[in-house]
Order: sequence, then structure tokens, then C-alpha cells
Amino acid sequence: MWNFLRNRQSSREVAKGRLHLVLAHDRAGIEGGKLQEMRREIAAVISKYVPIDIEAVEVQIESKSRATELRVSSPLPARNG
Amino acid sequence: MGRAIVITSGKGGVGKTTTTCNLGAAIAQLGASVVLIDADIGLRNLDVVMGLENRIVYHLVDAIAGRCTIQKALIKDRRLDNLWLLPASQTDDKDAVSPEDMVGLINELKATHDFVLIDCPAGIEQGFRNAIAGADEAIVVATPEVSSIRDADRVVGLLAQRDIPTRLIVNRISPHLVKKGDMLSQADVIEILALELLGGVPLDEHVVASTNKGMPAVLEGKSLAAREFTRIAKRLLGLEVEPEREVGFFGRIGRALGFSSANPA
Ligand SMILES: Nc1ncnc2c1ncn2[C@@H]1O[C@H](COP(=O)(O)OP(=O)(O)O)[C@@H](O)[C@H]1O
Ligand SMILES: [Mg+2]
Repeated sequence: MWNFLRNRQSSREVAKGRLHLVLAHDRAGIEGGKLQEMRREIAAVISKYVPIDIEAVEVQIESKSRATELRVSSPLPARNG
Repeated sequence: MGRAIVITSGKGGVGKTTTTCNLGAAIAQLGASVVLIDADIGLRNLDVVMGLENRIVYHLVDAIAGRCTIQKALIKDRRLDNLWLLPASQTDDKDAVSPEDMVGLINELKATHDFVLIDCPAGIEQGFRNAIAGADEAIVVATPEVSSIRDADRVVGLLAQRDIPTRLIVNRISPHLVKKGDMLSQADVIEILALELLGGVPLDEHVVASTNKGMPAVLEGKSLAAREFTRIAKRLLGLEVEPEREVGFFGRIGRALGFSSANPA
């Protein structure tokens, strides 16, 4: 029940999330689709060196108080044995 | 020497003209002299919102072209002692005026008046460049909507490039929708745009009625919007602003903000 409520974001929260993304793209001058292309290329480069799940690589532009940052994250496989 | 303040937004229909009209009336009520400039050449509005449309003889382009003196093109608002309007031309093109023309015009008006408020056209092209050219300060008006905030952000960036100090008015806030979770709050908008807040004006049907009549809401009485415009005018004049007295949500966010640390409501 509570989970159900929590999963339903208010339209205000949705608007905030969309704005953060749109403004990050606008401020950096990169279209959202371009960013996805870049993500695929970066993932391909990483996978040449480390075996990774290409789909799990994330590229994000974050913009807080007008400073903009590009962040790439990728889970690395655990080296068991 | 007066202060020239441009009221701008990027997007149209968010309340620039309403804000210019009401801040002008409120500042004049508080005793400072004000000239309002309609910088929307070719699509003038401020004259009808102010209810001064039948008194126009000369306009901004006439004054710039030297067809009359600047003082002669000003229309005195008879409802107040120290409020004037410089109307836009309805027939000329935006490129009838250059940024240099505007700087000269505004400097002349700043010599004779305490405030020059410039009602900026929508967009970020020539009309916008003209409107901001002579401004010492800017007020960005945004409504709590994704498209308005996005356009406002673009304008904030352009104003920052020119080192024009910029503050924010959030307009058309519906406390009821914010409470339901269906509208961004004033605090959300401040956080996203990272600007100092001058005020948050509620969505108020009195504004619609006073616009119909050509009477600034501020001169019509104590509607919620009128009271907020008066508070904003006081802040611009550096006067003490009485703490919010309204009960309920809108009053609370006003206080919680305290115009510095914003808690998302
Ligand atoms: N706080 C408000 N409450 C209700 N209506 C408003 C408010 N502010 C603006 N409006 C209405 O919104 C419309 C657009 O406002 P306007 O000032 O002409 O915007 P802009 O100059 O940015 O294009 C007008 O019909 C105006 O009466
Ligand atoms: Mg307008």
C-alpha cells in the first residue's frame, strides 16, 4: 500500500525531474539523443578494457546552481577467484 | 539618477506586462517617480493593460526618430501623481530601434525619474536585445511550468553574460495545485533557476478583471496579487516589508522562504 503510493510520483515531482534534465542539456548545449549516442560510444570503449554490461553504463549531465558536470558511471564486474 | 529595470521572461503570456503595470503603479503609490516603457515594438500591450490607449499621440519610435521630444511622448497617468507611460509603436518593425537608441533614451529618462521599468517582448531576438540594452537590473518572470522555466533559464544565461543583476518573480502560483502536488512550488522554481526571489504572485482572478478594465490591480484594492505586487515594489525600494499575514499554505511558503534559504514546500 505505502509502496504503491510512494511509486506514484506527483506531477510536480515529474516536472522537477524533467526540468533538471532539460536544463542540464540546454546549459551544456547537448541534445538528449546525442547524449545517448555518446553513452553507447563510451560504453564500447570501456568494454574494450573491462568486461562490462554495456546497458548498465550511464551518462548524466547534472546541473546545480548553474555549474554543469558530465558524469559517467559503470558497474564493474567483481573478480571472484 | 534613476534605476532602469527590464521585466523579461523568454516565454510569452507569463505576466511581464501585468508585472510591469502593477509594479509601476505600486512604486508610484509609494512615492517614487516611474516611467514604464513598452519595448514590444509592433505588438504593443502595456497601453491597454494600463487603460491609457486613448491618450497616445506619440510613441517610442517617434521619440527615437526625433519626431517629438522624449518628454512629449510620455503619457501621464492621471490616477497617480508620478507615473508615466512611453508607449510602443504599433506600426513599426522591431529593427526601427537599435540597442544604442534604447541606451540613449533610457539614460535621458533616468535623469528625470527614479525608476524606468521596461516591458520586454517575448523571445530572445532583436526586441529582447533592445529591451535589455539600457537596463541596470533585470526581473525574470516565470510561471511554475516546465516550458516557462526552461525559457527563463535561457534568458537568465543571456543576462548573466551581460553582467545584469537578475532577480525572480514567480507568477500565477496556485497554492491549491501546489498542495495537491500538481504544480511546482515557488521554492522549486527558485532552486531550479538559482535566482534570488523578489516575490511570488498567486493566480488571482482579480488580475483578469482589472486587466479587462484597464485598471492596475494594485489601484483596485487589496487582492492577493495586488498585495504581493506592493510587497515586491517595497523590496525594490529597499523598504521594510511586513511579514506575510495570510494564513494557510501561501503565507507559510512566503515565510519559510524568508527570501534566502528555500525549503521545498
Ligand atoms: N497573477 C495572475 N493571476 C491571474 N492572471 C494573470 C496573472 N498574471 C498574468 N495574468 C494573465 O495572464 C495573461 C498574460 O499576462 P501578460 O502580462 O500579458 O503576459 P506577458 O506580458 O508575459 O505576455 C493575461 O491575460 C493576464 O491577465
Ligand atoms: Mg506582454
